[in-house]
Amino acid sequence: MSESKNFDIAVVGAGPGGYAAAFLAADLGMSVTLIDPEINPGGVCLYRGCIPSKALLHVASLIEESEQAKNWGIEFSAPKIDLSRLRSWKENVVKKLTGGLGILSKQRKVKYVQGRAAFENSTTLRVKKFDGAEETSTFDRIVLATGSRPAIIPTLKLDTPRMMDSTGALNLEDIPSTLLVVGGGYIGLELGSVYAALGTRVTVVEMLPGLLPGADRDLVLPLHKKLEKLFDSILLNTTVTAVKDEGAGIRATLKAQDGSTQEKVFGRVLVSVGRKPNSEIPGLEKTQVKVGPKGFIQVNKQLQTDDPSISAIGDVVGEPMLAHKAMHEGRTAVEAIAGQKVAFEPNAIPAVVFTDPEVAWCGLTETQAQNENREIKVAKFPWAASGRAITFDRPEGMTKMIIDPHSERVLGLGIVGVGAGDMIAEGVVAIEMAALAKDVALSIHPHPTLSETIMNSAEVFFGTATDIYRPKRG
Amino acid sequence: MIEFKLPELGENIEQGDLVRLMVVPGATVSAGQSVMELETDKAVVEVPSSVSGTVQEIRVKEGDKIKVGQVIFTVDGAEAKSSDQSRAAAAAAPVLVRPVPVPQATPATTPTTLPAASPTPDAAVAPTSGPSEFKLPELGENISQGDLVRLMISPGTKVAEGQPVMELETDKAVVEVPSSVSGVVKEVKVKEGEKIKVGQVIFTLEGGASAPTDAQRPRTTPVEHVSGQHGARLAFQAAIRAEGKTEEQALPPDQPLLAPQVFSMPVQLGKVAGTEQRQPIPAAPSVRRLAREVGVDIYDVKGTGPGGRISEDDVKAHAKSLLQAASAAAQAPPRAGHFAQPQLPDFSKWGKIERVSMRGVRRKTAEHLAESWNTIPHVTQHDRADITELEQLRARFAPKAEEAGGKMTVTAIALKVCSAALKVFPQFNASIDVEKEEIIYKQYIHIGVAADTDRGLLVPVIRDVDKKNIVEIAVELSQLSKKAREKKLTPEEMQGGTFTITNLGGIGGVGFTPIVNFPEVAILGLSRSRMEPEWVQHKGGGKFEPRLILPLSLSYDHRLIDGADAARFLRWIAEAFEQPFLLSVQG
Ligand SMILES: Cc1cc2nc3c(=O)[nH]c(=O)nc-3n(C[C@H](O)[C@H](O)[C@H](O)COP(=O)(O)OP(=O)(O)OC[C@H]3O[C@@H](n4cnc5c(N)ncnc54)[C@H](O)[C@@H]3O)c2cc1C
Repeated sequence: MSESKNFDIAVVGAGPGGYAAAFLAADLGMSVTLIDPEINPGGVCLYRGCIPSKALLHVASLIEESEQAKNWGIEFSAPKIDLSRLRSWKENVVKKLTGGLGILSKQRKVKYVQGRAAFENSTTLRVKKFDGAEETSTFDRIVLATGSRPAIIPTLKLDTPRMMDSTGALNLEDIPSTLLVVGGGYIGLELGSVYAALGTRVTVVEMLPGLLPGADRDLVLPLHKKLEKLFDSILLNTTVTAVKDEGAGIRATLKAQDGSTQEKVFGRVLVSVGRKPNSEIPGLEKTQVKVGPKGFIQVNKQLQTDDPSISAIGDVVGEPMLAHKAMHEGRTAVEAIAGQKVAFEPNAIPAVVFTDPEVAWCGLTETQAQNENREIKVAKFPWAASGRAITFDRPEGMTKMIIDPHSERVLGLGIVGVGAGDMIAEGVVAIEMAALAKDVALSIHPHPTLSETIMNSAEVFFGTATDIYRPKRG
Repeated sequence: MIEFKLPELGENIEQGDLVRLMVVPGATVSAGQSVMELETDKAVVEVPSSVSGTVQEIRVKEGDKIKVGQVIFTVDGAEAKSSDQSRAAAAAAPVLVRPVPVPQATPATTPTTLPAASPTPDAAVAPTSGPSEFKLPELGENISQGDLVRLMISPGTKVAEGQPVMELETDKAVVEVPSSVSGVVKEVKVKEGEKIKVGQVIFTLEGGASAPTDAQRPRTTPVEHVSGQHGARLAFQAAIRAEGKTEEQALPPDQPLLAPQVFSMPVQLGKVAGTEQRQPIPAAPSVRRLAREVGVDIYDVKGTGPGGRISEDDVKAHAKSLLQAASAAAQAPPRAGHFAQPQLPDFSKWGKIERVSMRGVRRKTAEHLAESWNTIPHVTQHDRADITELEQLRARFAPKAEEAGGKMTVTAIALKVCSAALKVFPQFNASIDVEKEEIIYKQYIHIGVAADTDRGLLVPVIRDVDKKNIVEIAVELSQLSKKAREKKLTPEEMQGGTFTITNLGGIGGVGFTPIVNFPEVAILGLSRSRMEPEWVQHKGGGKFEPRLILPLSLSYDHRLIDGADAARFLRWIAEAFEQPFLLSVQG
């Protein structure tokens, strides 16, 4: 430990993984250089990912709810949208957070270099700085946190601002009358929801038979129903085979599973078909770092690459490509570098889709259990029986717990409904602590809150939920 | 025949969509068991059965709209009246037959199944005439070249049309380029790092190649109304798949299908970088970290908490047992170490046996003695001491000792004798540090006395024997022996010995070979003293005289102690017994 304290460490990329790693390294007493092209730390998550999208989704839910208020006897006139103010509000949110990270870097004496890094060898980086100057420095350890970028489908490449990836969509240049969202994953649905709330007629095209592939169907169903109302149409089992710039719009050819095709013109197209790891770091071939078949940098549980002086974290090392996973990996990697005996070995990584309703899950899913032929019990609590959900008129939600029938341990939690993303954390703690369904059922939850539905789902497992009548099965 | 009808679901709910059926013909249902999931305009609800029996016929299908009161299924009754069809189905496969699902009413209820793989394996490589080389197709508007980042083929690779063969970095993006030909790669004409132009030959195929067969054509035939060159269209088509959306279709048919790329967070831990596919362990993160710190594989630890939860104490206990096993293994050669022994025969073949747990003192003793025996090269030296005079001394001290609450025994006297001997021969009051290659001489004399108790062998230690007189020793020895019998000895009272005495004289015997009490280096055994005819030298000759003789057996660690020294040491002790006078002077 004492010698690793004097380590000179470089972190390439200042996204959530990178800055979490850099800050911890500084806290442990290492001298830290953090390199990123942006003026402040933040990476994709803060500049063009989690944060701006959530700011816009907040606005979207406000618009939606004010419309729903009609049912409760409150009527607002149609919202007037001042796009430039909305945009600058969103930008201010980003600035506030990234600026804050900049200050935190300074306070920790992290040397922040605005530029792009390339490898000279395993321990030497050449940084092309923002001002054009180049700087070559040698480090004891290098952490790669270069993140990911939107995947591109060559057929769906057109040189027009009408053709957008998530970054373009977040720029919110205008509110197009129609938008085609290619890909029904979480990014497409979140951004599609924003545009729909602002008045755009949105069409979502998904190649697979359901939205949010990978998530349990019963969690997706209430969202799907809601989106069917919010969007113009949701086309499943459909691919976009061609796009053509027609000046006033983009003509897209949509091909259904039966082979039939249709053409439609859209004001804008958002391609959200996934993300690719940024593992093509210049000079990486001069190191022993290995890149796997899907482009992810290969690491062990200590986040060390095949090169003894290089670690890698975040989106660039693999799924799930999520900010909180990147941060945890960043901290683990630095602890390992500091000589601590640690490993990245979570029992649950939460996933949240910030649509309305939100969908969130952690640990084992029912789908995964089926695929692996694992014996489980599923206890579901429908929000129609939740007092809290009724008070704001959103009873479509559902909380379900996946339980090991033998040990009665909580293996997974899934929630669909308002606020699911905040509530899923309880599931993560339960799973990480190896809580039994009984433990959750016996923990008093505040009333009336949605969090009660987690306790209730555990009670359903025992056939003793207060608010619904469902005797224990079998 | 009893019918199960959709019961009332609640206020104002008259119907719902059948999302999931949980029963099949032939299944046994009992009242209260959930049999289907129904989506009403309020929520998805599970509907419990109100009947019990064996399901005969199911009258609804997933996707159906179902009204309250509608018959869902029938169950076996006394006068069950089922149609031929369902009886046949039930007979053929009572459990497996599922009602044929109708095409999904709502898309969202469709399970995430993989699109069926269309091509037939052999068709892809059917040798028909076709292009014998693969050239870089057009990649898109204004893109005429790119840097070859990664080659995914080499000579001999079997490629199929649509399979990604390389990654090309253009000034816009990195794209995967799919092959537009099928066959076996003969020669690769490009290298990673090169700049490659549209139209440039990438690789050639062995003996011509196969053109897309009919089976494949639908996948690769360009969509009619897209304008552009044929090659570009082909590339685009395949690139969609290669780039992600239908990646599995783009893979060669003879490779196992990959799951469709799931872009929305597939939080399957087995797939997370660096994590192996082990089930999550029931231990809190802090406990898992502790396990790492102490070098324990948490998966080896048995959890004692509810549901097998592993606590910090479980980890510590496991680590401790590992350490003990390791140290025993390190000190003993594997052959005889720590109870490792050849497979036992089945003793019960030859008669009745009883198995008794070997826990506690017995196991400790076994382990410890095996350790001593395996570590120490033992030699035992025998001698005899004439204690005729000593008996007088003993008689003299006996009342004193009794007064003080002790018993003047041969052992008590032996303790005094040995403490004196150990001062003269310090190498018998030592230990060997093999690792450091050092001899540790102890500047104190603490002597253990083996005590035979009903729990087994215990060795309480009397401290600073050299600083105590015989009466004090006798008293202390009596107290410790009593404690040993009453199971009141503390572990501390059995630690720190530098030498051990074991006296079997009370039982009998003429000599034995005691085992050194590791890490000590010597042990003195006393056997039964008896009257023996001893040749006594006089001035004018000699004669046999009856003398009381005590047999002495000294085992020692031959690594540290030479035979001659042992003989001298034991002689010294024997003489000390013979001249108690000396002792009385000293103590
Ligand atoms: C629209 C959108 C919404 C999202 N919403 C969420 C959400 O709600 N929750 C969530 O958990 N995740 C969300 N994500 C994903 C999240 O943004 C990523 O998982 C996260 O940013 C990954 O962090 P990272 O540290 O690995 O890398 P990134 O955040 O990708 O940062 C990598 C940084 O490295 C820099 N870099 C790359 N190469 C070099 C080089 N050679 N030299 C110097 N710098 C380099 C990049 O420019 C970038 O700034 C969202 C993503 C998008 C696009």
